[in-house]
Amino acid sequence: MSHAPLASACAAVLRRDLTLAWRRRGDIVMPVLYALIVITLFPFALGPEDALLQRIAGGAVLVTMLLAMLLALDAMFRSDIDDGSLEQLMLSPQPLALMLGMKILAHWITTALPLIVIAPLLAGMLHLPTAVMPVLVYALLLSTPLLSLLGAVLVALTAGTRRSGMLLALMLLPLCVPVVIFAAGAVAAAQQGLPWLAPIAWLGAALVMALVLAPLACATALRIALDA
Amino acid sequence: MANWIPLWVHKLSSPPNFYRFAGIVRPWALALALITGVIALYGGLVLAPADYQQGDAYRIIFIHVPCAWMSLFIYGLMAVASFISLVWRIKLAEVVAMESAPIGAAFTFITLVTGSLWGKPMWGTWWTWDARLTSELVLLFLYMGVIGLYHSFEDRRQGARAAAFLAIIGIINVPIVHFSVNWWNTLHQGSTVRILGPSKISTDMLWPLLTMMAATKFYYIASLFGRVRTDLLSMESGKDWVRQIAEREGRA
Repeated sequence: MSHAPLASACAAVLRRDLTLAWRRRGDIVMPVLYALIVITLFPFALGPEDALLQRIAGGAVLVTMLLAMLLALDAMFRSDIDDGSLEQLMLSPQPLALMLGMKILAHWITTALPLIVIAPLLAGMLHLPTAVMPVLVYALLLSTPLLSLLGAVLVALTAGTRRSGMLLALMLLPLCVPVVIFAAGAVAAAQQGLPWLAPIAWLGAALVMALVLAPLACATALRIALDA
Repeated sequence: MANWIPLWVHKLSSPPNFYRFAGIVRPWALALALITGVIALYGGLVLAPADYQQGDAYRIIFIHVPCAWMSLFIYGLMAVASFISLVWRIKLAEVVAMESAPIGAAFTFITLVTGSLWGKPMWGTWWTWDARLTSELVLLFLYMGVIGLYHSFEDRRQGARAAAFLAIIGIINVPIVHFSVNWWNTLHQGSTVRILGPSKISTDMLWPLLTMMAATKFYYIASLFGRVRTDLLSMESGKDWVRQIAEREGRA
């Protein structure tokens, strides 16, 4: 029996997921709106002093991003499990880890990329200096895929359970602590005029490791969660 | 070479054999935990001299430090048992891993509480965002995640396998907790007890600490074996050996 070459299988999975997301454009806007609302709550909660908001801007944007991505993560495999297409993917002759990697990529494009696009706006609302914006974007470009990859493994673990929302937060947030520390550390360093390359490099190193390991772990986790 | 050791281990990992073995070991472990615990407390609270800097307040370390060691030790053991259960599908390893989690969480909780009780008179604050305190708190969340995931599945063996996988992923935090005082120079003091080379602590204070460490280990064994016994009974509730035990206990 012959089957489709790997590259075209990957492209097919990616195209399918992106098409599905595009058909439900409303869902893509949700995390963005959520992040906007959370950011507007900060000045209300802390008072509208520019200096204070400026100091917390980087960290607040990062945490908001993390929470927005957390909300979107739950849906990563949900519809595929409900309509059985995930089982089909697991039965396909292509390596599951690679197929899942494509799904994670599609998920990152549809949830994290819009968030990164509006991140400068969010940071601007909290008066983050314009000079620091590029560092924030670099940090987000490296840390959001890391969160997507880590999150995918944990979502896969909860795939067999019914109530997973809160549990997902409990499992993911502790593992995200280093990511948040390094990403916020880079922004804070840039804000104080210090060299910020080291934390960015750490994020990059972690991302490379996660790119290799997380799809494999995700495949293992799905097999554990779905076939008893 | 005698091959009775692997054979013995192999036999022990069957639930009825381990049930019996744990039943024999448990009272001894509990007794040893009590004895060493009392000796360590007497040595630590009465015999050991007051610290030249901290006075008597430092004595909480005789609880705090052994519990902190246990919080990491149990996590490591849980991860190893998890690995064994995922690779070789040994039922007993699953049970050991999952029943270790609540005990480890309890030790982590005690570590955090005693640390904060000590922090108030010494640092003037209950809590600070110090590297070691924070990473210990993250350790508690990791334990909670493992316990939560385990209980969220309807099928317990499936839940155990998923939670075991999470436990293995979470092990990255253990070296972070362990080395945090050396990596980040924050409020928490550096480590004073060394395995290699001389410790930076007086012998009068060291021996109660090490005795307490033994006590917590014995307590862990007793607690774990008790939990594992109960769990094995409920997991194997349809099996013949459980029925035999139930009938025997019912008659007695």
